[in-house]
This record gives sequence, C-alpha cells and structure tokens, in this order.
Amino acid sequence: MRRPRNILLIDDEEDFLETTSRRLRRREFEVKTATRCAEAMPEVVAGWPHVVVLDVMLPDTDGMECLRLIKQVAHRLPVIMLTGHASMHASLQGLEHGASDYCLKPIELDELVEKIIIAYNDIN
Amino acid sequence: MFKFIANLLRPRPQLGPEAIQSAFREHYRNFRALLTANNNALELMSSAEDMLGSGKPFGMAFVRGDLTALTVNVYKMVHSLIALSDGRYQDLDERFKSITDQIEHILSRQPEVSGTAFVLTMDEIDRRVVDQVGAKMANLGEIRNHLGLRVPDGFVITAAAAKYFMESGHVQDEINRRLKTLDIDNLEALYTVSSDIQDLIRAAALPDDLDFIIRQQYARLADSQGRPVPVSLRSSALGEDTLQGSFAGQYRTRLNVEAAAIPATYKDIVAGKYQSQAIVYRQQRGYRHQDVLMCVGCLAMVDAVAGGVAYSRPHDDPRSPWAVIHAAPGLGTRIVDGSSVYDMLRVGREAPHDIAERRLADPQGGRACLTDDQARELTKLSVQIENHFGSPQDIEWAINTSGNLFILQARPIGQAAPAAQADVELAGRHVEQVPILSGGVTASRGVGAGAVYKVSCALDILEFPKDAVLVVETPYPEWAVLMNRASAVVSESGQSATHLATVAREFGVPALFDLAGAFARLDNGQTVTVDATARRLFEGRVEALLQAAPHRPNLMEGSPIHKLLKEALALITPLHLTAPDSPFFKPSSCRTLHDITRFCHEKALAEMFNFGHRYGARDKSAKQLFVVGMPAQWWVINLDDGFREGADLTTPFIQIEDIVSEPMLAIWKGMTAVPWAGPPPVSLRGLGAIIAQSAMNPQLDPAVRSNMTGRNYFLLSKNYCNLSVRLGYHFALAEASFSGLLTESYVNFQFQGGAADERRRRRRVRLLGDMLREIDFRVEIKGDSLTARIEKRPVPYLRERLVVLGYLLIHTRQVDMVMNEEGFINSYLDKIHADIHMIRESLHKEAGERIQ
Repeated sequence: MRRPRNILLIDDEEDFLETTSRRLRRREFEVKTATRCAEAMPEVVAGWPHVVVLDVMLPDTDGMECLRLIKQVAHRLPVIMLTGHASMHASLQGLEHGASDYCLKPIELDELVEKIIIAYNDIN
Repeated sequence: MFKFIANLLRPRPQLGPEAIQSAFREHYRNFRALLTANNNALELMSSAEDMLGSGKPFGMAFVRGDLTALTVNVYKMVHSLIALSDGRYQDLDERFKSITDQIEHILSRQPEVSGTAFVLTMDEIDRRVVDQVGAKMANLGEIRNHLGLRVPDGFVITAAAAKYFMESGHVQDEINRRLKTLDIDNLEALYTVSSDIQDLIRAAALPDDLDFIIRQQYARLADSQGRPVPVSLRSSALGEDTLQGSFAGQYRTRLNVEAAAIPATYKDIVAGKYQSQAIVYRQQRGYRHQDVLMCVGCLAMVDAVAGGVAYSRPHDDPRSPWAVIHAAPGLGTRIVDGSSVYDMLRVGREAPHDIAERRLADPQGGRACLTDDQARELTKLSVQIENHFGSPQDIEWAINTSGNLFILQARPIGQAAPAAQADVELAGRHVEQVPILSGGVTASRGVGAGAVYKVSCALDILEFPKDAVLVVETPYPEWAVLMNRASAVVSESGQSATHLATVAREFGVPALFDLAGAFARLDNGQTVTVDATARRLFEGRVEALLQAAPHRPNLMEGSPIHKLLKEALALITPLHLTAPDSPFFKPSSCRTLHDITRFCHEKALAEMFNFGHRYGARDKSAKQLFVVGMPAQWWVINLDDGFREGADLTTPFIQIEDIVSEPMLAIWKGMTAVPWAGPPPVSLRGLGAIIAQSAMNPQLDPAVRSNMTGRNYFLLSKNYCNLSVRLGYHFALAEASFSGLLTESYVNFQFQGGAADERRRRRRVRLLGDMLREIDFRVEIKGDSLTARIEKRPVPYLRERLVVLGYLLIHTRQVDMVMNEEGFINSYLDKIHADIHMIRESLHKEAGERIQ
C-alpha cells in the first residue's frame, strides 16, 4: 500500500481543523486546511492534495456542491467526506458524486488514516 | 437455464496480453474494495443486532451512524460488483436503492400530533385526548369528568401548541443540530448544551396567536373563579407515564404563577424537556427527543393547608391491604423533591379504613397534618382511583382552607423490576461480615458495589466516576442524571416516594435512603457494598451478595428507538439468499441489505474465478495444485501476486512450492499438520442416513458439478485467500486477508449443509462452533449453518487461528458419521483438542525462535 503525502482538510470548525491537522502531521502527512470551499479550490486546481477530507456543511457552499466542484477539476482526486451529519440519503448522494467514502465524526485518528490510505490506493 | 445461456452468449472480450493484464488489475482492485466493504458491512450489521439485544441504552445517533456507515459499504459493494462484471447486475442498484429508501423512511418517521386545538379546558379532557394533553393531564381530566372528584379548574396547552411554538423561528432545527453530536457521557458538555438549549427556548418569541389564546383562556379561568387567581403550571409530557417509563421528576412544575408571568413560565416548562437529567433519561430509555412533546397544564392554585402523596398500595407490595399517605403542611411538594419531613400514615384500604399507623414528622408535640376523617376520605378516593385505572396509583393531593380535598395528579406506581423470588433469596442471604451501617428505607431493591462518591452540588456531578456508589444528604431529583453511572445510591434522608427513588427503581439501581450518618461515616474512594434489599452496607465488595443480585432490567425493550431499530433491521439482517446455484439467487430476490452483500460477494468470487476463462488468459485460469509430485483435488486461481515470481504458468498445474500467499499457506499448514487417519468406522445407521439425504438433495450428489460449485479451490494473492471447499458433502468457505491496515485484516468462515439428518447437522455445527469460540472467533449459528468471524487483529494473531481453522476443516468433516456413538465422539474430540494444542504450541515456538 502506498501512502499519500498531501492532505487537504476542508471544514468550517476551526478547532477540528487544528487538532486533526496537528495529529496528521505527527503521522508524517503534509496538511493544508480551508474553512470554505472557495479557499480550498486553488489548492485543488494546483494539484497539491493527494487526498481531500471534506465536511458536508460549509458556510459558503454546501459540502456536496464543493465535492462536485472538486470532482469537476480533479476527477481522480480521492475525496473522503467526514461529517457529523449521519444521513443515509446524504451519504448516497456523496458517493454518487464520486466521494471515496463517507465517514462520521467523531472518528479515531487511526481509522481516518486507514481510510485516507485506502481511498488513495483505490483510485491510484 | 436462461442464465446459463445468457452466460454463454456474453461476448468474450478480445484483448491483447497487456490489456488483459490491465483489465485483470482493474478487476482485482474492485474485488479488493468489495471485500473490504463486505467485511465492514458484516461488522456493522452485527453491531446493530448486538445493540438491539444487549439492553444497553442507545440513541438515534447510534442508529443513524451505524446505518449510514452500512449504506456506504453496501453501496461500494454494489458498484464494485457492477464494475467487476462489466456492467451486469445494474438491477441490483435499483434493489439497493429501494431498500435504503424504505429504511430511510422508517428512520425519519415523525410522531404524529393529533388535534389542532392549542388549548383544551379541564371539562373537555379525559383519556380520549391523551395524545393532545399528555398522560398526566388526561388522567386528571378522567378523575374529574368520569369519577367526579374535585380537581383544580384550568386548561391544558396542548401538544399541537408545543409543536407550533418549537417549529416557529426554527427553534427545533437549532436544537436538533446541537444535540446531534452530544456525547451524554461527557457531563460537562451535557450541562452546557442543556443550558444553552433551554436559554434558546426561553428567548424564543411565543407566536402571537398562541400567546393570545393562552391569555384569553386565563381570563376565562379568572372570571370563573371570581378573581385573578394565581395558577400552577405543570408539565404533562406526551409519552410520559406510559410504557413503564415514569419520567418522574424529569420535567418542571411551577407554582403560584401570576397572570403576567404565564407566557414566560410556559416557555420555561417547555424548555424543561431539555434539562440534563431529562436528556439522559430519554437516552437511557430509548426515546427520541421528538418522541416527547411538552403539554402544559395551567390550573388554579389550591390554597392548601396540607398536602402530600398517597399510595393506593405501598410500592414494594402490590398485594398489601394498606394504603400509605405522606402528609406535610402546605402543598407538600417538598415531599417528592426529597427535601422535607412529613407525617406517614398507614390506612386500611377496606371500609371503615382503619388507621393502623401514624408517624408524625415531629413526634414531640407536633400537630398532625390530617384528621382521621380526612385520612379515611383520602384513602377511599385513592382506592377508587386505583380501581378506575386498574393499577396501584401514586397520587398527589391537597386540602384547602375550606377543608376540601383536591386531587392534583395521579399516575401508576413504578413497580420494582427484580423478580420477587430472586429478591426473597437475597433478603434471606446470610453474610458473615458485619455491616458498617444498617437501617434506613429500601428506596430501590438490589445490591450494588463500588467506590463511594459523595455529591452535594451540581459541580460534584461532573466528577462522578462510572460505577461509583452515589452518596448524598438529600435525594434531589437532579441527581437522576447519574442513574446511568451509579452502581448504587445511598442517602442520609428521604423515602421511597421521592422522584429519585422512582427513577432508581426504574433503572434497577439499588437505593438505600434515610440511612442516618451515611454522609459523614463514608469516605470518598472507599469501596462499599450496598444491600438495599436487606438495608445494610458493608465495607469492600461482598461477592456472595453481588452474585445473588438480580440483573438490571432491559430499559430499551419496547421503547420508540428500540422499535425503530428493530423495524429497520428487518430490512437489513435477515438472509433470504443462500444457495448460489438456486434459480432464485438473483438481484430481484434480494429483500434485505444482507441479501445484497451475500449476492455481491458470491458473484464477485464467480467473476474472479471465471476471468481467465472468459478473457482466454491461461495464466489467469484455475490451476490444479501439485503436491509432492502428485496432482491434488484442489484448484488455485492467482488474483495478483499469489505465485512466486518466475513460476511456470504455461501448464495447467501449479506446485505448492510456487505459492507465496501467506493466508493460503497458513490454511494449508493446518490442513496438513496432522495426517488424516481416514474416515472413522461408520455405523450402519449413520451411513444409511447420509445416503438417504444425498438421494433427496441433488445438490449433494458429487456427480452433479457446475464449474465452480463442484470444486475445491483457492483464490489468492500474497495477502489474501478465499477457500471454497466441498468435502464429504460439507460446504465451507474460508476467507482471510492479512494487512498492515486493521480495516483489511480478518478471517471469515462459513459452514453449511452436509448430508446426515438435521439433528446431526445441528449438533455438528454446535461442536464446530464451540471449537471456534475456543480460538476467539465470534460465532453465529442458525439452524445447521455457521458463520464465524475475527476482524481487525494483527497478522500473527490471525495467522495462528487460520492454521487451526485449516486443521478443523479437514478433521471435523466427518464427525457426524460417528455422531451417535458417544464413546467415539469423546475420544475424537479429545484428539482434536490435543492436536489443536500441539499446533498452537509449535506456532508459538516458531514465533519465539524467530524473535530470538
């Protein structure tokens, strides 16, 4: 299994971004964060991330819309949706729009790391 | 048959070797993704089933979380299979969507609110409108309008009104959002969220029309009383007082409310639905927050000289000939709060209602709160109310300045859950040890032990350790928030009528109240055993008592969330698809998510199995295994990197030495660890049964063979192996994946069928199940089929179990042939156990040598 290096976290909760990115860096990932979709898109367009971790509720556009935008410019970029919104409907919508996975908060770091690695290897 | 022809007509793709290699990689990638999703899905289904049967509390967060994750994994399986099969099975996606739609529908179902009136007056209320006014007010209306007893005048602000208020300005949406991620075990977060939500409700504006109607009703009430009377506002939650759920003391009551303060007080009572102890209570009892709607009674205050509680029978003795009355000066509400001393009377239920006992709050010259006649009158009414409702009642009452008796509330007495027999045994159990404290009142029967933790203010609650013994001076209702954490409750004061006692009984938490000196005598951290049944308290853990104590009741059974999960699981876990060669093994037969996972798994295996043949790729086709220079009855398909590099792939055979698949080698090691001594001598009857079964079931006839079902084969890669076996009429499937990622590390095993009559088949499956449990498999047996799983364990752990599994596969295959001969069976089992021990020892030794 190959390990991706660059992870882009998109979430409106600053606390979550801070703790999660700190922990991922400790596991030797490069991490960038964004609280809004618009902020994240330049990184996606530039091709920096190997995996995106995306919340479903964002202040500017909703996560689904953001997922669609990401997939438009980077079709093969794995996107993991990570959210507190436990909904069968939303999860199916996410998968149909090309998300690699739909996970629920709170998630153990080990599990998130495994999901990141699996999503990356599934597409590449 | 049609399927068979369709299969033949499926075009064979014409590809060059490189394209075949790349198509195969793509297939294998999908296959791996499907396996991982399958494994996750099985785990999620079993965790939901376990939760349903466990009696442990769970909320909608668990249900939605588990089922959302399940949906995700089944979706992945379906789409991996569609990709794997070059677009066949599209119709499976429709089945999947239709099933998930039905599940989603169940999960999002809202309780219906009946009636549109925002207000009903007391003379319009009885049991028929319980869905509009809640049980508490419906009972009171029943007492007034059908028993003709005196209850205060007033009206009820209905469930429809509460819903209207909460939905105006999106208050409810905001509340739901905040509750969604709340972890009730984090008490600090619980208090913060609870208090924020209540502030939110208090701050929300009451819609104008509702505000107007409430004021108008109050004006009418004041008119009828001839003066602007103060009122009491009482919560009457919908769902309260039913289903053995008492919700005792979980919600608010406000007394002596002036006209101007009614709207604000109404909101405060509605907000009371989100008090922390009420949130915990609902979670523990399996109520969704939306299952409870807060109706509010608005009743003229009784100008009380005395008040209290009457029990038509004592709570711990439903056959008692006595009623019990607790009375205090004024309204007596402090009795149920646990904060007051009171007179206690025992009065005969039958006329002439003899007063058997009277204990005054103040034995030195205190005045009794009730006259003998009043006590008799109250007893008579209590029995009348009991007869009307058909169960012993807990009744709040008051007597006004003119000496008139009012009924303020009546509800069924929360019955103690433990079985009477276990309790009697417990009470009589002799213990050598001398108790450090004894006496007091049994507020909730049972025995509990743990470290003492004293609580005297809300701040202490935050620090309360799980399974500690709660020690308090006064049993306030607020302490109910700890009922899911405390192993027992001890209180200096209070009695069995307090709300805290009711909740303790409901949760099956032993509680010993009125135990003088307990607070001072006990130290934090000291381990004690509380025997609430026999009213004594010991130092340390008294195991003899703890073992005899009855189990805690299953609080979830029958609750709204329990029902909802049960209903959803009916569309998830039952397995209807079984035999892959049956004509009904098709997408349209899938009725549950489990059927879909089964279908996907089976068809994915078939796709991988047939790949070589379909694409005309010899190196991808099944190869017969060669062992010590001989072809064996085993076929092998290499999915990826399961063969040694440079192995000769031009022949239809593969040497065992050329196989590098670690899980396969582990199984193989077990299969060959101990030489098979040949079938044990078969008794004639046993053989006869097997032959008869083979004749009846053509699937068992070894002569009927389709390409896949008739062979013993391994599908493998370096870290994966799937073994299908048809040996001695048994069907077995073992699947193992070794990985550095725990998500991808597991062993699955299925075992099914096998000739011999049903009784023997079941017995064999049980024997096999026992042996698998001994090596830490989670085993599930239905009829004569067995599934066993281990997941998310490190590779050496899985490897050891896989070796043993390989051994069992070979050596239990004909156990049933000697099933009736007890002597054989036992010596046979002894040998199996000895072999397994030997195999594990040698594995441990190998591992040890490697480490050195």
